[in-house]
Amino acid sequence: MQHYPILSIVTLFLGAFLTVIFGSKNETVRKFIALVASSISLILVLMLIKPVMIENNVIQYWMGNWRPIHDWAIGIGLEVDSLGLFFGIIAVVTIFLSIVFSFRYTEKDSETDKYYVLFLMLSGSVLGLVFTGDLFNMFVMIEIMTFAAVGLTAFRNYQEGALEAALKYLVLGSIGSSLVLAGTITIYSQVHTLNMAQISALLFNNLTPSTLFAFALLLAGYSLKAFVVPFHPAAPDAYMSAPSSISMAFSGMVNKAGVYAIIRLVYVLYHAMSFKSIQLLLIIIGTITMFVGVTMALAQNDFKRLLAFHSISQIGYVITAVGVSTALGLTAGLYHALNHTLFKGLLFLTAGAVFYATGTTDLNKLGGLAKKMPQTAAVFLIGAFSISGLPPFNGFVSKWLVYQATYQANLAPVTIVALLVSVMTLASFIKVAQSIFFGQMPKEFENVKEVPLSMRIPMWIMAILCVLTGIFPNFVTKYLISPAVSAALNVGKYIDIMMGNGYAEKILGKPVEIPAVDYVLAGYWNPVAWLVLFALLLLAVTIVAVAGGFNTASLPVDGDDSKYEVFFGGEANEYSHVKGNDLFWGLKYDLRHYFGFMHDAHSGIINDYALWAIFTTTIFIVYIFLLVP
Amino acid sequence: MVVLSYLFYVLVFPGLLFSTIVGLILSGIDRKVVARMQKRIGPPIIQPFYDFFKLLGKETIVPRTASRKTFLYAPVIGLLALVTVALFIPMFKFTAISTVADIIVIIYLLTIPAVALIIGGAASGSPYAGVGISREMVAIISYELPLVIVLLTIGKKVGMALNNGAITFSLSQIVNYQAQYGPMITKWSLIPAAIALLLIIPIKVGSVPFDIAEAETEICEGPLVEYSGVPLAIFKLNHAIKMFIMTSLFVTLFLSGKGTGILIVDILLQVILSAIVVIVSISTLKAITARLKVEQVLKFFWTYPTALALLSLILVWMGF
Repeated sequence: MQHYPILSIVTLFLGAFLTVIFGSKNETVRKFIALVASSISLILVLMLIKPVMIENNVIQYWMGNWRPIHDWAIGIGLEVDSLGLFFGIIAVVTIFLSIVFSFRYTEKDSETDKYYVLFLMLSGSVLGLVFTGDLFNMFVMIEIMTFAAVGLTAFRNYQEGALEAALKYLVLGSIGSSLVLAGTITIYSQVHTLNMAQISALLFNNLTPSTLFAFALLLAGYSLKAFVVPFHPAAPDAYMSAPSSISMAFSGMVNKAGVYAIIRLVYVLYHAMSFKSIQLLLIIIGTITMFVGVTMALAQNDFKRLLAFHSISQIGYVITAVGVSTALGLTAGLYHALNHTLFKGLLFLTAGAVFYATGTTDLNKLGGLAKKMPQTAAVFLIGAFSISGLPPFNGFVSKWLVYQATYQANLAPVTIVALLVSVMTLASFIKVAQSIFFGQMPKEFENVKEVPLSMRIPMWIMAILCVLTGIFPNFVTKYLISPAVSAALNVGKYIDIMMGNGYAEKILGKPVEIPAVDYVLAGYWNPVAWLVLFALLLLAVTIVAVAGGFNTASLPVDGDDSKYEVFFGGEANEYSHVKGNDLFWGLKYDLRHYFGFMHDAHSGIINDYALWAIFTTTIFIVYIFLLVP
Repeated sequence: MVVLSYLFYVLVFPGLLFSTIVGLILSGIDRKVVARMQKRIGPPIIQPFYDFFKLLGKETIVPRTASRKTFLYAPVIGLLALVTVALFIPMFKFTAISTVADIIVIIYLLTIPAVALIIGGAASGSPYAGVGISREMVAIISYELPLVIVLLTIGKKVGMALNNGAITFSLSQIVNYQAQYGPMITKWSLIPAAIALLLIIPIKVGSVPFDIAEAETEICEGPLVEYSGVPLAIFKLNHAIKMFIMTSLFVTLFLSGKGTGILIVDILLQVILSAIVVIVSISTLKAITARLKVEQVLKFFWTYPTALALLSLILVWMGF
């Protein structure tokens, strides 16, 4: 059991190396290696649920058995607590489903051996990042992650914009990595250790200006990895140009890795959430992120680019909820992180399916695909309703928790913005539904077929998970979220396990108390009762239908009868599809100044974006120096 | 026994049958009142029943461009959501399911019928429906902002009195509060919020001057243009039930209280108050105004009702 974490990481890296050696010639071999590596890693991580999540252990592993000497860590240690494992589970599920989806999805691409090598490197690095207990190791993993991601962004380099996207990602990613490295070094120079448990103990009540400086740098660096506004501009391009299975991995685990790092940084390393100013900082950037993300998404004309902006927006929810820093807020944030992985992964897969079937994801070129791809349309609707937070899907539960948490913390403006963002999310998915799946079908897509089974299976798994996490939130919170929340809030144990018993007490003075997660709020969402209701109602409707309510005899769709044409003002019917660009005129008109400003701001010039990143980092530094005691 | 009582709640009262009848009667009253205001005689009050049963008997035509299943299921999903909401709205002391009655749940459940209309319209493949759903979505974005602020305001007000300042989202607590302290409308700090909600009701049920989505004279009822027969009947029914639910929600939020203690009288009272709210907020506006433009609707809702609701929120936050 102690070896599971390192094995799950090593399997993925080993898979990458084996693919280079054996998989470069044969497609089947490399698929086999990828499948085996990802499933072993999936199983190993899932086997950790029982000891870590349920029995509440923390698993530690010293690489090369370099144990700490005289309470001082020397070697690299892995440390898996429930928080790390929570993100680990998110990562492995994404990896596995994405690999399964890739098999048929990439069949039209050449040199897929490089695809699998990079993908396995990316997966291994994310898993390594969430399992490691060493700050410098975290930087190394982030570097591997960034460069694998850059490579994968440019994988379809014959596509317009792929290389440009990769360059943007490379530049901004390097800025982020440099910030992380600078922060790490500054901390090391101050406390002379890189072990996170020990740093956490040494920094408790002991913040010097240098460590605060390091905090600002690390926060900026990790925010860049999580694509928080205004560090976000690399994300939309990268998500759009990368193959959909990779976009799913990007939004499912790569930016989750950034979120994980932020949580680890503020809650564990710096115990920073007791400072009002840090809470406020996270809430502000989170709220800005969710608003800017969703309004930018409304203006997009490409399915995947739109999804990318939604990724940014949903990460905003997570950061805001994490910033609220009550147990409820953290629960909301982690729940939303989980849900985001599920529904956004699902939506990226449907985008991949649309691309596979038609060769484009442009909202202005598609239309009427629901008739040709009914299953893709169905899972798309599940994903769209989930992300819009309609009950009984999972987005509702976590957004509900976000509203509760923010409003309870006396943050009414944030609650209002969050609810508004949720409606705008719905709007932009209505846009996608109308432009791609409904409406009239252009002539050239008449021969489009439903995607193959191996692509539909991951989509359906994700869709079912979306529904399950929506209707059984009590199980999800009990077995996944609450352990992770208490791990983030109760730092003493994390330190103790790594450095030996009593170490935390020696330094922290007393174990940090866990605030009980309080669900005795006004009517905690109990959807199971509703499910009964919905079932009953469906029954009633079925009875109506059987009794002749929907007399199918009167529904012929064939034949030349003109009454089956759509109404066209009395004229002969012609192709007229209301497309992405045509929708929401009133909104676009009323907010034209805002949209115009955002359009000009996203100039596409890397220098601008790099400047934003540096500028925001400066603001972080100044803010933290001024306001954190 | 529990199953039977659930079945009764869902199918008869306060679910499907009750809300159907009351909703249709309310829309009959609305039509009659509007007609009288415009010096017409107007249809009989039970005209919506005639219309409904007439539509049930008509042929159902599914256009060739439509995605059939989505097209046919959309109205039913909308109806289900509305009936579910009907179960959650307390009528004075009576609630079918009290433990989960929650404002945010209701906000989202009330979004589902609109989404059903949008998805159904989109599935028909008609360009008129395409324009209609775009407008419907703009309408949703318009009213959601003030609606949310109104509901949060009430939650804060009740929470400050009953929960030591912690907010509540529970509708039954809101009713309890009114039973103790008198109807919410008597609190002067909440009157702006009440006015805002009265302005939101017409756009939520899609009546003039905010019926941009269905605008018969411009885009031939927008999302409904291709519907006929039973699905159209269900959409019309949804429309009527939505009218009842929104007004009933207003009554529960602002005019509720102890009630008389006798169930039948309470329900009658709720229905009568709902009818008055229909006349005040829907019929009067409908009779005296003409349809706004699309961009005017968004601008209107993001300024006046939002400002009114925010005023209430700030007042309540300051402790008034």
